Amino acid sequence: MNTDDLIDRLATDLRPVKPWRPGPKAAGWLTGAVLYVAVLALVMPGRGGTGGAGLSFWLPQLAALATGVLAGVAAFASAVPAYPKHVLVWPAVAALLWLTTLAAGAPWETEAIVAAQHEWRCVSFILAGGAPLVAASAAMLRGAAPLAPRVTAAFAALAVGALTNLGACLSLPHASHAVTLAWHGGAVLVLVAACAPAARFVLGPTRSSPGAARASTDRSTPSRPR
Amino acid sequence: MPERLSPSDDLGRLMHAAQQGDSAAYVELLRTITARIRRIVRRQRGFAGAADVEDLVQDVLLSVHAVRATYDPTRPFVPWLLAIVRHRLADAARRYARAAGREVRIDEDDVTFAELATNEGSEAAGDAEALRAAVRALPQGQRQAIELLKLEGRSLREAAAICGTSEGALKVATHRALATLRRTLGTNRS
Repeated sequence: MNTDDLIDRLATDLRPVKPWRPGPKAAGWLTGAVLYVAVLALVMPGRGGTGGAGLSFWLPQLAALATGVLAGVAAFASAVPAYPKHVLVWPAVAALLWLTTLAAGAPWETEAIVAAQHEWRCVSFILAGGAPLVAASAAMLRGAAPLAPRVTAAFAALAVGALTNLGACLSLPHASHAVTLAWHGGAVLVLVAACAPAARFVLGPTRSSPGAARASTDRSTPSRPR
Repeated sequence: MPERLSPSDDLGRLMHAAQQGDSAAYVELLRTITARIRRIVRRQRGFAGAADVEDLVQDVLLSVHAVRATYDPTRPFVPWLLAIVRHRLADAARRYARAAGREVRIDEDDVTFAELATNEGSEAAGDAEALRAAVRALPQGQRQAIELLKLEGRSLREAAAICGTSEGALKVATHRALATLRRTLGTNRS
């Protein structure tokens, strides 16, 4: 198909589109995600007992919340071409702060980390509990067809991981920050590592529009400059 | 990318109209930006052939079409478009690098051997009329041996039974017939 034919075809299939704004989309997703995690944390049978927790407990939680919110905003902002690059910096700073508050809170205790078998509940909270949030973000981001889907998906997964980690920590508070860092951090890394490579197939730009995908398949015929 | 396409207000207005389903505005927009995209692609990928350049241009147009909902009419159009071009060029470069890593370049082999004598020999062997005449000129025993064994493809035992001779005698007759044919046809290949 030559380029003029392609243009005609794209124009023939043209349908009105609703403008895709990252701000309202991110706000909607984050609101839903926070409510979902709160409900999940309340429903999950936990140990409770955050009433007497001090700053050393709440500081990492606040940092995780900031990471989740900023990563969510970054995921939706990065789906739009020519987005401001600083939106990717803020979640990275928040994640660094989160890790720092956890790492500075307690010495590394390998034996305690290995012995903390009950942490599998937290891991399943983050991974299985986060799956619907990942699916929801993917469904919303497909409308934008991000040009760099892996970056978008990595930030979306980081947002999901940080928020579900927060829910897990509130539901099942831990005495040791090292245990939280190893198990929760590992689960968040797994989530990001799983979502980023898959994003190419789920969020790829030409897959969001049936018309574009159809035209794309028609390009198997040699093209000629006009 | 320093390329300045045209006053972004015009392009932005066209894209805004396209977002609302205006096909004519969309065609005008795509035709306007296609020439400029082609120029950018040619400049960035000077080594690419015309077909490759056109593939990249079409790739960009498909991306513009797929993500047209993300254009915000309150913002300039050109940076939005150039971001798409930049991403598609980077994707193409990655595809090219991956393909280059998998492919092995080999020299093209000749369809036939370059030696003249080899080709002439094959042409001579293809002269069927001369071969038929040479076979007809063979003595009766040799001709029959050739016809049964080489032309009809019978086994040595079958041919010997038909001729009423031994297999050994038939082998000798065949050998002599082939030698005569080589001499007659002027070839001397073993």
